[in-house]
Amino acid sequence: MKIHVAYYAKLREERGCSEESLDTETATATALYEHLRNEHGFTLSEAQLRVVINEEFAAWDAPIHAGDTVVFIPPVAGG
Amino acid sequence: MFSLSETPLDLGMLRAATRDVEAGGFAAFEGWVRNRNEGKEVRSLEYEAYPAVAIKEGNRILAEAKDRFGVIHAECTHRTGHLALEDIAVWVGVSAAHRGEAFEACRYIIDEVKLRVPIWKKEHYVDGDSGWVNCERCAARGHGHDHAHHPHGHGAAPVQPAAYYARQLKLPEVGPAGQDRLAHARVLVVGAGGLGAAALPALAAAGVGHIGICDGDRIEISNLHRQTIYTLHQAGQPKAAAAADYLRALNPFVQVQTHPEKLTPDNVEAMLVDYDIVLDCTDNFEAKFLLNDAAIAYGKILVQASIYQYEGQIFVVNPHREGPCLRCVWPEMPDPGCVGSCAEAGVLGAVPAVFGAMQSMEALKILLDLPRQPENTMIFFDLLTLRTRRVTVNRNHSGCVCQSGKKELAWESHTGLELSWEAVEAAQGALLVIDIREEAEREAAPLDCPNLAFPASVFPLQHPPMSVDQRTVLCCSRGFRSRYLAMALRKAGFPNVYSLSNGLQSLHPTHVAP
Repeated sequence: MKIHVAYYAKLREERGCSEESLDTETATATALYEHLRNEHGFTLSEAQLRVVINEEFAAWDAPIHAGDTVVFIPPVAGG
Repeated sequence: MFSLSETPLDLGMLRAATRDVEAGGFAAFEGWVRNRNEGKEVRSLEYEAYPAVAIKEGNRILAEAKDRFGVIHAECTHRTGHLALEDIAVWVGVSAAHRGEAFEACRYIIDEVKLRVPIWKKEHYVDGDSGWVNCERCAARGHGHDHAHHPHGHGAAPVQPAAYYARQLKLPEVGPAGQDRLAHARVLVVGAGGLGAAALPALAAAGVGHIGICDGDRIEISNLHRQTIYTLHQAGQPKAAAAADYLRALNPFVQVQTHPEKLTPDNVEAMLVDYDIVLDCTDNFEAKFLLNDAAIAYGKILVQASIYQYEGQIFVVNPHREGPCLRCVWPEMPDPGCVGSCAEAGVLGAVPAVFGAMQSMEALKILLDLPRQPENTMIFFDLLTLRTRRVTVNRNHSGCVCQSGKKELAWESHTGLELSWEAVEAAQGALLVIDIREEAEREAAPLDCPNLAFPASVFPLQHPPMSVDQRTVLCCSRGFRSRYLAMALRKAGFPNVYSLSNGLQSLHPTHVAP
């Protein structure tokens, strides 16, 4: 299935882009992140991030459907 | 002594202060409120002073008079507040051995006070109009004294609030009623750094009547590219006072109060109590979580913003509308290492300027009751792509502070986490010192004692080279990064790790890299 993924802050830096379209069969947010982490060597663990699915903060075990937008958000404190 | 008085002057007491057995003469001058000025009929007037500077400058003038004319006592008191016709506005009294020097000193003092002391008056005219009037101090071009904090421009014409706010009053949603609402508003800005330096002038210029500035830091050279209310020659000065000076010069119709200290669990309640809205312009999680918990506990609207390189986020916590809070997203304060500070990650000055201005806009929207986004919306704004993402935050865990209904601070203090430099020195080498600043910071200002280098940015991929039993103190420039890292290491099973309180800047300012 095709989904849309976006990255913020340190993840954007590590991925080298802010968003991309993916073809994936991963069923949950946690599985998707694990897959991307292996692929791109992200330094942040799931526990340090929040996941947003279709513009709403979601649980890591939330299911992913075709056409969803999944966003990974690290904490940010600069000022 | 020079003093300011909000109440009518007690002439008997003032005169008594000049009595002296060696004095053979006494001269006094009284300035009164009269019924006309420059052809206009005056009904009453108001004096406003910039007290800290007024008293200092006034006392300097009295000392000069004593020195120059050899008088025995010199006293001067200036009224502030609302005065009626015939009230005494200013009183000068001098006692001396002979009448000549008493008269001369008296004349000198009143002339200099009018010229140099930052006190200005607003006249209320019989025709219902009012205006800040010109005075000698501002007219004295090239006199070399500070012309700031004065409600009129370089010309002689008085500045009227209606002229100052003209473009804003034109907005149908603002108008005189909205402007009046702003004039009665009280907004606290915590952090006068990148975000605060943009938010503060926007609030002051809009006419937010009472603005508080909380910041315990001093201006550093490396701040200036993004904190543009400060100038090069102010480096080293306290930020809160410098920012207040800027705002007073920008808009004399607003009151500015400084809180030149770091926000702590002990002072946060007293700090917030007098304000309606708080802008979180801080740059560290500890302050952000403390402000979040305090806003919930004390019922204050909190406008948060955080930036990272070219992006940022903005979120309003509104306990009055039972909105969600920061802990609905992050129940626990995040560990260090998963986020970079401006020193580690870098920042382009325009980024905090955008987000600080957005924070001031959020405060104005609330104060003016303008249309706005739903309370549970967190906005993510990427300034590279200009993509805005509006994410819904649900109050979905029942244990959150915003649902506890408690009117006390939920903050856990981390007592015993910090060590002073005195304590480090007293340990005489029994304590391992780890410098967690980045390489460039260390090179710019090396730490002058045996230490190990371990940049905070490599955590948590790597752990510092320390053992569980070894007492260790972590040092950074201001004590924020070291505090996070010490907390994280304690969670990871290192009970003997500490953070150097207030960082290396407290030892020597050169430890803060330019």
